Amino acid sequence: MIKMLREIPLIMMKEIGYTYPNGARALKNINLNIFSGELIGIMGKNGAGKTSLIRTLNGLIRPTYGNIYIKNENTNSKSIATLSKIVGVIFQNPFHQLFANSVEEEINFSLRSLNLNKEEVQKRTDQILHEFDLEKYKKRSPLNLSGGESKKLAFASIFCRDPEILVFDEPTLGQDAKEIEFFINLINSERKKRKTIIIITHNIEFAYEYIPRTILMADGHIIADGPTKEVLNNEFLIEQTSLILPQICQLYLALQQLGLQEINKISSKNDMTNYLRNLLKNKSSKI
Amino acid sequence: MSLEFLNAFKYMKKQSFLHNLDPRAKLIFSIIYTISALLFTQIIPLFFIFLSLIPLVLLGKIFRQWVKSIRGLSFLILFIVILNTLFISLSFALAMILRIFIMVSAFSIFFLTVDPNDLALSLISMKLPYEFAFSFSLAFRFVPTIAIEAQNILDAQQSRGYEMQKKGLINQIKNLFPLLVPLIISSIKRAFNVAEALESRAFGSRKERTYYYSIKYSFKDYVFTLYLLVFLAFVIFIRVQFNSMPDFLMWSLPV
Amino acid sequence: MDLIRFESFYYRYKGNEEYTLNNINLKIEGNNSKFILLAGETGSGKTSLIRCMNGLIPQFYAGFYRGKVEIQGKNTIEASIADLSTEVGIVFQNPENQLISMNVEHEIAFGLENLGVSPKEILSRIKQTASITEIEDILDKAPFELSGGEQQRVAIASILVLEPKILILDEPTALLDPYMANKIINLLQEIRRDKNITILISEHRLDLILPFTEQIILMKKGSIVEHDSCEKVINGDNFQRLRLNKPVIFSIFNQLKKENLYNKNIPISISEAIKTLKSYY
Repeated sequence: MIKMLREIPLIMMKEIGYTYPNGARALKNINLNIFSGELIGIMGKNGAGKTSLIRTLNGLIRPTYGNIYIKNENTNSKSIATLSKIVGVIFQNPFHQLFANSVEEEINFSLRSLNLNKEEVQKRTDQILHEFDLEKYKKRSPLNLSGGESKKLAFASIFCRDPEILVFDEPTLGQDAKEIEFFINLINSERKKRKTIIIITHNIEFAYEYIPRTILMADGHIIADGPTKEVLNNEFLIEQTSLILPQICQLYLALQQLGLQEINKISSKNDMTNYLRNLLKNKSSKI
Repeated sequence: MSLEFLNAFKYMKKQSFLHNLDPRAKLIFSIIYTISALLFTQIIPLFFIFLSLIPLVLLGKIFRQWVKSIRGLSFLILFIVILNTLFISLSFALAMILRIFIMVSAFSIFFLTVDPNDLALSLISMKLPYEFAFSFSLAFRFVPTIAIEAQNILDAQQSRGYEMQKKGLINQIKNLFPLLVPLIISSIKRAFNVAEALESRAFGSRKERTYYYSIKYSFKDYVFTLYLLVFLAFVIFIRVQFNSMPDFLMWSLPV
Repeated sequence: MDLIRFESFYYRYKGNEEYTLNNINLKIEGNNSKFILLAGETGSGKTSLIRCMNGLIPQFYAGFYRGKVEIQGKNTIEASIADLSTEVGIVFQNPENQLISMNVEHEIAFGLENLGVSPKEILSRIKQTASITEIEDILDKAPFELSGGEQQRVAIASILVLEPKILILDEPTALLDPYMANKIINLLQEIRRDKNITILISEHRLDLILPFTEQIILMKKGSIVEHDSCEKVINGDNFQRLRLNKPVIFSIFNQLKKENLYNKNIPISISEAIKTLKSYY
């Protein structure tokens, strides 16, 4: 994706700091630019400030110092209600938001603050329930859904508002491969619509394979910001942020130690598979 | 304001004379001071009783928190001053304010210096059934957790466009549902999880339960209790003989 | 005598039409300690299976059952949950809801208090358990002062102190960052060796756990589809077909196996991968 050089970042965070009322400093001197259409991962130890960072985006937290600009406007002057129309944040626990009498009403509630007419509300509700394969639960109580379906409903309740920026807090927590694949497809279809996506995750393998740019946080600071494959391949950074090297990187290092020839740049599962495929085909090479 | 006020009742672990006292001695303290406050409607005696609290607050190293509890009452105090002045007199209003200060202090000091663990133990020593005392301390244990949960729920709902300010009483009540329903449900789920965990640790399996910690009345607890009883006797004496007491005790504002 | 034994056990929660557990036949021996992984897609019945192992099902969770479950010979319908908890220790998901005391030391003492153990004995057991779970320096902290990793260790300690013959954990690493998750799994391996008890873990994060796993119990739609050594299960068809979070190493070698370029056991750790590649030359 070509980045226009004169393009103004969609989100600009300048010298952001945040201190909780009890004195804990959650964010320190954060400087961050995010361009429209990017897919970004935020990783770091628990308590590093990841959740605090995303809460500044929709106004749940107001920075103690510094400024945030979204679409070139300072967020300080905007209410949470206004910001949440542009920035849709989906938190970890779907049960922190489900309360309505039916799945349908749950979506209606999310649409309420958008001031749409009745037909539009009905249309969007039907559309989103179809997209998330929740149509059959339309009249059911949201509390009667399984864990996986509740998570889908939580996604749907933000997606129906069609925000430009989507923020996910640990979307793959407790999910099996099928559910993670659903999530990946969801992200891909949103990217096609040129949405900007930010994901907080601990899932290193997922990040390595699917997320182009990663921000690492430690102790309230951003300590790294760059291409995921480089950031997560750095042993020093990994140690600082309580992560572990992706398996491909670990295998790469181990193969390197064997002194193999032609171990070119391997930076994906496919690359590694290709390399090993060739290795096993040409059994004449020595290990 | 309201959250700060609640903080003034939260237990803080410290090393101080008050903290080291048996919780039962502190319970006696709260009761005796409450009774003392209720015995008078005149400014001066109440003022002295209030003053006598201050050395205890200092002994407990909880001055700042105690001040917060008093400050948190400011709204209520304004309300009382206005009502009482209109209907009775400013003197009476001031006396009532002092009374409230004393009673709130009596309990804020108690909660600030009593470890909920010890509280449960003292209830048991007073022959309350174990399950009852345990539920009590369990409630304490989960108050901070539920407070955080409530904040998380508020965050999640605000992220969907939920707004807190609504006009009209009925709307305001309806507007609480998106917060209350998830909170109640998560609390019920939590209760199930806690119950399941308790069962798995043999809770309630035997009548003869042992106690790892114990509380015992020591010398300083007896001394403190003695002081409290003497204090109460003194206060009652003043009250009973009030009319033959020096005039300055009955001083009131010329309003 | 088997430590845990399910015989044609069926279970349906009250209010549910479908059976959550279907014809479970399972034997877990008690004599030598093992590291067992319980794996399955979400909704396959893993948590429900775990609840059967100390009598929570059917005593705490009302429902309909058929067949029988025995723990060390004791029927889970007749023996009390408290009694069964001295044989089977369960650490549930989300340690926050298992920590009920105001400080760590009391948390560990709690289960023993309930069983009527003398305070002297409690003290000695606390010392021992705190040392194994490395929580000696946080004994006086309150539960909300603890980090995720510390909470998990305290929860484990509070069950370990009851000296069960098997320690069962339901998704112990769910809320932890990768480094912490790894530490906890290593800790469990140490506990297994020191105390010679079997560890059974239900997990989604297979990449961290497989290197330690000796046996796998695979579940699908409420049934156990396979229970065998790690090696056999990983290389079998059932594991292939289930939509689990397979380690990247597994996926790569599995692909090579499908292309007939690789015909040995699929490695589940980096060292295994290197070893098996070397063996080709």
